[in-house]
Amino acid sequence: MKHAARVLVRVGLLLLVWEICGDLRLIADGALPSPSAILLQWWQDRGVYPLHIAATAWPASIGFLLGNGIAISAALAFVLVPALERLMRGFNIAVFAIPPIAIGPVLVITLPGVWPQITLAAISVYFPTMVMTLLGLRDVDPRPIAVIRSYGGGDLAVLRWLRLRSCLPGLLGGLRVAAPAAILGSILAEFGSGSRWGLGSFLLGSLGRGNPARIWGIGLTATALAALAYALCAVLARRYTQAATHVTIAAGIALESRRRARWHRLLDLALSFGALAMPFLIWWAVLAGSGVSPVIARTPLAVWTYLTSGPAAAEARDTILQALAQSLPWAGIGLLIALAVALSMAVLGILWRGVTTALLPVSLVLQTMPLVALTPIVVLLFGRGIATTLVVTVAVTFFPAFITIAQGLSQVPKPALDLLDIYGASGIQKLRFVSLPASVPHVCAAARLVAPAALLGVMIAEWLATGYGLGNLLNEARGELDYGMIWAVAFVAIAISVGFYQIVRLIETRLFERFQLASGA
Amino acid sequence: MRNDGLKVTDVNRTFKVEQREVPALRGVSLDCEPGSFTALIGPSGCGKSTLLRIIAGLDRPDGGAVSIGGAAPIEKCREGALGVAFQDAALLPWRTVRDNIALPLQVLGRSVRNHAARIEELIELVGLQGFADARPGQLSGGMRQRAAIARTLVTDPSVLLLDEPFGALDQILRRSMNLELQRIWLNSRPTTVLVTHGIDEALFLADRIVVMQRNPGRIACIVEVPFKRPRRAELFAAPEFHRLEDEVAEHLFGAAAA
Repeated sequence: MKHAARVLVRVGLLLLVWEICGDLRLIADGALPSPSAILLQWWQDRGVYPLHIAATAWPASIGFLLGNGIAISAALAFVLVPALERLMRGFNIAVFAIPPIAIGPVLVITLPGVWPQITLAAISVYFPTMVMTLLGLRDVDPRPIAVIRSYGGGDLAVLRWLRLRSCLPGLLGGLRVAAPAAILGSILAEFGSGSRWGLGSFLLGSLGRGNPARIWGIGLTATALAALAYALCAVLARRYTQAATHVTIAAGIALESRRRARWHRLLDLALSFGALAMPFLIWWAVLAGSGVSPVIARTPLAVWTYLTSGPAAAEARDTILQALAQSLPWAGIGLLIALAVALSMAVLGILWRGVTTALLPVSLVLQTMPLVALTPIVVLLFGRGIATTLVVTVAVTFFPAFITIAQGLSQVPKPALDLLDIYGASGIQKLRFVSLPASVPHVCAAARLVAPAALLGVMIAEWLATGYGLGNLLNEARGELDYGMIWAVAFVAIAISVGFYQIVRLIETRLFERFQLASGA
Repeated sequence: MRNDGLKVTDVNRTFKVEQREVPALRGVSLDCEPGSFTALIGPSGCGKSTLLRIIAGLDRPDGGAVSIGGAAPIEKCREGALGVAFQDAALLPWRTVRDNIALPLQVLGRSVRNHAARIEELIELVGLQGFADARPGQLSGGMRQRAAIARTLVTDPSVLLLDEPFGALDQILRRSMNLELQRIWLNSRPTTVLVTHGIDEALFLADRIVVMQRNPGRIACIVEVPFKRPRRAELFAAPEFHRLEDEVAEHLFGAAAA
């Protein structure tokens, strides 16, 4: 009880300081409105909020159900037919690496009504749920398997009696990560959709109006909605498992088949080639099946032609390269800063436990905050320059990176640290000999996990605020209905994201082979 | 189908470790009469657990054959004729003791309801009365192992395969479990193969002890155990028990030193 009281007092103090800063316009010339001003504005807008919230939450829920249905079926298929998982690996990585904002406009021009929102929400939830479920299905205790096999039970019996139940904690953890992602996906698909309702549309429409209190109100409402979705899934998870909290997804480990030696070399080659071709095949097949005019719906070949031999190919390439030169450095720098800060904080947390206990809950909350809600607030505080791009990028990558690294470090076996204690090791020595080496896999995992988010952050900042780079190009192309450019930007953004993922993966594999490290989560 | 015999004929098994071939079993033959109790003992790496896994149909030999009551192990598995217990209880953590015991029935597609009385009987037989609704996490190591043994008995197996079932228990608990296992075994006398590290455990429970050696895994010799059943706890202190214990130890360590 004492603890709760202390927390309440602190929160109260914080709100009081905020109120004073806001009322006296102390920060960024009134860009930080006081809580009372935000509440007041919210109350004035109360008539439209239910409509906006419904327009965002409804497609998000349908997308959540649809995406998770597909994700769970896919995980089941992958565990029963491992070759299928190999074949779909390229597709899975692509879905993971897609910056949602990049394909939002593509969906808006190809799909009718609320389907862009539903689809983007479904795409956003697919990967976390699929990976966590697959991990849970695969990672079962081998001893009960032997029991089931000794009664003649085959793969299906093992699935039914063992895997289905033991994947539940993973599955529920995945759903928890997926829930806020569905909200974010739904909001991002409102960008450029021209629809009147929805929190994203509300936000875009309020950006130029010089009413910080409203922008804060929308941002906080979107955050609350995402947090509510997270909490609902968390309650569900709590009910069925006493498992430790999964707050980030384990990107990648489930994508690695450890029994590589089992594949015949030729089959292996065929599967690798298939994995590479599959995303393009699916892209092509979906468009062919949709019946949308080829002017709007561009196949892989059409995008390739647009970029290489089309009438405006050279010009398009120049425009994209120029935009990339503006966007990529900031995504890279933001990512590096976020990783460096996250690693320092996590390591400091080992020396002083208070750092972790203070930061972890905050990170958990902020992680669920939709990026789009954050960006306008950052714009209000930092203006429309590079600083905003950088702050948004660091903000969206730091928290998941910190959680991944901190949780990884907390798994360092205690006997290893005890051993050093026996010899009277100092905190620094513990860092040097145990904690830092042990953090390497987790830093790699964090880099892989947050790299797409870094690109997403930069693009959102560019679209909403700074007016240059890839995000701006996408926004302009959408405004001018330049279908070729919309598709080209989406393709380039995904390709870069996937490329970066593969590079980190390669570095990781090298490190692991060299130092015989266990793969980080 | 009660009490099938067990025949292992010239079984070979080789493992590949880092491109190198390691012979785990070479030319192993063993004949177990219906209703007999055989103990496999030997240094680690002699292939005794591998042999048990092959008998259970969990692993395939590279050469040779195993037949249980004249059929292949896999076929016998599907009839529920085998009961296997491992060093670890291998209970499903989310199931109660009762539901864990019912698992083999479910895998075999048999009605759990028709066996409800049998399951209660088994719970009593292994001394877990009052813990039927407990989950494995709430039980001690010994109790978990009892639940695992009840599970192996639920199909009324004609062959019982025990892979160091008490290996993780302390010496005192192990003794009392040995006494209980004998009591349970005398109930239905399934043909039993027990893999163990303990010479005393093997002597107390088995009709004969198969001593194995490693590099490659093979049978070194077979020691007959003449004691009458039921055997009592006092047997552990009897002079002839110690004499046989020394004899087995000599086969084990003498051969290892040579």
